[in-house]
Amino acid sequence: MGGSSAVVATTGPRRSPLMTLAWVLPGTIWLLLFLIAPLVMIILVSLWERTPVGFAAFSFSLDAYGRIFETSVFLDTLKNTIFRSLLVTTLCILIGYPIAFYLSRCVKTIKFQIALFIVVLAPFWVAYVVRIIAWLPVLGRQGVINYFLVEVLGVVDEPISALFYSTFAITLALVQLYVLFMVTPIFFQLATLDEAAIEAARDLGATPGKVFREVIFPLSLPGVLIGCIFVFVLVMGEFATVRIIGGGTIQSVGTLVNDYYTIPDLPAAAAAATMLVAVMTVGVAILLRFSKIREVV
Amino acid sequence: MSDTGLVLKDVYRVFPGDITAVSDVNLEIENGEYIVFLGPSGCGKTTTLRMIGGHDDPSSGTITIDGELLNGVSPAQRPVTTVFQHYALFPHKSVLQNVAFGLKMQGMDKTAREQQATAAIELVGLGAMMHRKPRELSGGQQQRVALARVLVTRPKAILLDEPLGDLDRLLQMKMRVELRGLQRELGITFIHVTHNQEEALSMADRIVVMGDAIIQQVGTPTELARHPRNEFVAKFMGDNNVLHGTIESASGGNVVINTPHGKVEVPGSGTAGEKGSMAIRASAVNISTDAVPAVNGVRVRLDFVEYLGDSIKLHLDFNGEPFLAKVDEERFGEVQAFEGKEVTATWAVEDGHLLEQ
Amino acid sequence: MTYIWYLIALVLLVIPFSAMVFLPINKSKPVLLGFFLIFIVFMYGPMMTMGVLSFQGPFGSMTLPAKDLGSLHWFTELRAESSLMVGVRDGITKSLWVSLVVAAITAVLSLSLGMAFRRQFRGGGILFYAILLSLMTPGLLLSLGLSFLLYYIGFNKGEGMLGYVPIIGVQAVWALPFGFLVMMSVFNRYDARAEEAARDLGASSFTTFREVTLPLIWTGVFGAGLFGFTLALNEFERTFLISGAINTLPLKLYIITSSSVLRPYVYSLGVVTIIISFLLIGVFLLVSAITGRKKALAIEEDGSGVDDVPSMTAAAASGD
Repeated sequence: MGGSSAVVATTGPRRSPLMTLAWVLPGTIWLLLFLIAPLVMIILVSLWERTPVGFAAFSFSLDAYGRIFETSVFLDTLKNTIFRSLLVTTLCILIGYPIAFYLSRCVKTIKFQIALFIVVLAPFWVAYVVRIIAWLPVLGRQGVINYFLVEVLGVVDEPISALFYSTFAITLALVQLYVLFMVTPIFFQLATLDEAAIEAARDLGATPGKVFREVIFPLSLPGVLIGCIFVFVLVMGEFATVRIIGGGTIQSVGTLVNDYYTIPDLPAAAAAATMLVAVMTVGVAILLRFSKIREVV
Repeated sequence: MSDTGLVLKDVYRVFPGDITAVSDVNLEIENGEYIVFLGPSGCGKTTTLRMIGGHDDPSSGTITIDGELLNGVSPAQRPVTTVFQHYALFPHKSVLQNVAFGLKMQGMDKTAREQQATAAIELVGLGAMMHRKPRELSGGQQQRVALARVLVTRPKAILLDEPLGDLDRLLQMKMRVELRGLQRELGITFIHVTHNQEEALSMADRIVVMGDAIIQQVGTPTELARHPRNEFVAKFMGDNNVLHGTIESASGGNVVINTPHGKVEVPGSGTAGEKGSMAIRASAVNISTDAVPAVNGVRVRLDFVEYLGDSIKLHLDFNGEPFLAKVDEERFGEVQAFEGKEVTATWAVEDGHLLEQ
Repeated sequence: MTYIWYLIALVLLVIPFSAMVFLPINKSKPVLLGFFLIFIVFMYGPMMTMGVLSFQGPFGSMTLPAKDLGSLHWFTELRAESSLMVGVRDGITKSLWVSLVVAAITAVLSLSLGMAFRRQFRGGGILFYAILLSLMTPGLLLSLGLSFLLYYIGFNKGEGMLGYVPIIGVQAVWALPFGFLVMMSVFNRYDARAEEAARDLGASSFTTFREVTLPLIWTGVFGAGLFGFTLALNEFERTFLISGAINTLPLKLYIITSSSVLRPYVYSLGVVTIIISFLLIGVFLLVSAITGRKKALAIEEDGSGVDDVPSMTAAAASGD
């Protein structure tokens, strides 16, 4: 991943510090207002007291955390959410890696490669809610999957009603929504791989399995890592997919946050969100740590 | 056909779209030779090397080593190994792991392979860098790691693709000597590809000049420098003047060619009335203020004097065509005085060289 | 019961994965091609099914089998004068306006940040990670935090023109990293010598920017803007808690799916948004293809692009 200096282009002509400030300022202000300030607010509000309609600023207390940990609901949901995120991340690696591998290493011409990559990536631009809704006719009681199971294959007599509104349906939809965040970084990593290093490995007698284990996979690891961070973090914060496909019977930390918000108990919503951020940060830190270890060995 | 060494017989390589990259290559390389493939970009030298290394297959023809057919054999199974252009080191592995890689792939156990790898690393003088990653090494050091990585597998021949291309000039000079020394010490065949004439002349036992997908000439450095076979080689080796004309007469082992710029006499044989071309090395051209002789002399204008440190290159204008001469460094003051003036360029008959058409 | 599904899924995934790991490319290729096709079905299948179901007759249902296919009933239904459809159409109009403004802001911010990162500056590393942080912040959290901020300063959500400010704000923050990365890749391939030459010839830094820099990178700026437009058009979670009464189309769709009885107009609405999105991608690809072709032609005339036979054959194989 390297430092940010690797990403800085440094292709520009000399300029005055004032000019630098002029280019930096608008974006910085925007990010401070609409990204940093909201995140800081979440942590602050979680530490403030609740009022009937909102919160009392700067009246510090830990009551919100007390409220969310009062019953086991929050902790159980948090555990389930973490488990779901890890499951979706694993499935995304298992699906995304071969897809990225196919695109970058089995498709010969660059033009065809780019064309297929755009086909793979295009669903990303379809409204997220629409992509969730599109699962209705597939996973429903009379959906495509049940139709195949009952009518075509005949493996079950009765349609499986648990298909929609189930954790499996949610997992499936989440994988479909977020797998592109795994495919893209791995694809770019594999596409820019030093072809000569692979040829050299083969030249020195490595079998296909060993070329993959010794050269291709270690070199694509940064891409896998970025993909894992994206998928893990975004699924941890998921709420609409769980709500629509889970049909209100299945919870995630995201739906809980929304529930607290509508009560309204804003500090509790903030406390739940803070816990979420904490878990995500720890998760990302573990992943980064893992990459550091790999680099030293 | 020889039973030892590397033999290329009637090798062609035609890429899709009817692009002929390599055509009619016949070559025998003895074991322990230092061979340099020399030619401009796109001449087919790298393709030839890749076919020997097994990274590409000939469209037709055979490649054998010690009588054993290599066609269709995978790179891993061939007793030849490549040092890739830009080295192709594994960036995530240490020097030791890079060098031990080939042995690991052969299934050698850890202690044995690390012992052999260490020996190879010490052979190329990098004993202190054993545990560094490639990016922590200089270009010259990376080059040595790449070399150690192939040496350790004890191949019959080592293929080097522009091995010095990434290094600065001073380091290039140093590595030339080192590479050559190492090759003599090991007695392994080295096949080296470059576009740099000087590098080829200084390192090779024999040079294979390639151009337009075919072998233009094979010879020792001195043969190539003194007796380029045709115009392509003469021009590519540099510092040669080529004159074209019609053969006027042939007698006593010499021919006289009538060129638009005067008559020239060169050793060789030919038939009167046919086209003839000759080459004369810049260093064989003498500059004086004498009158123009009947043969082997032209009147030229001295445009520009280029000081090269150990010699002087004179850029001459020969009725609008460039003509080169090279003289001793001591004559700098003398010749500089003639810049912009007319002088006479002459050369001895035996220094001229008849080219194949 | 569900564990069986997970088991089936895992077994199915192990096949292509191990083919990729253990087989040489020529042998693993057909397996991976098959997997790729299944993947495409997985990605597009649900949308396709939805598309088919949107063309049902008036008695169409939400699931298969489709009834009276080939009718545009549910598309014409979108034009009905019911309060629901008026709300939907209002949502579409609002979405388009918001997206347009977000596109302009994303383009400007991406351009200025792209320019900023052409040279190193103090705090550049932190700013870089802040931009990427936006990619990794779950939308709901952003929405929640901003709604707290609005509550704290006493801002009335969704009222008047001012109500659009937070909506546009978060959507631009979401699109910014994409636009920024587009500009970064543009500047990475960009030759600054033209600018230095302009400065040498006496142009001020503003003139240089207007006369030299901008004309060379405008497709990148356009691309950044288009990212802003499409991402804003489809954005939902980030605006969820701050929109008040301003219901953009995705918000409206969420409200419909979670409250009313669903009819196939939901599908036809989905189809309409997909068509809009894909049209926009098409425009983007067309523009980049045209500029790409111009560049390719320039290189061809230059004749310096070809240096060795393999690259020549690569060019020949790609049909240039």
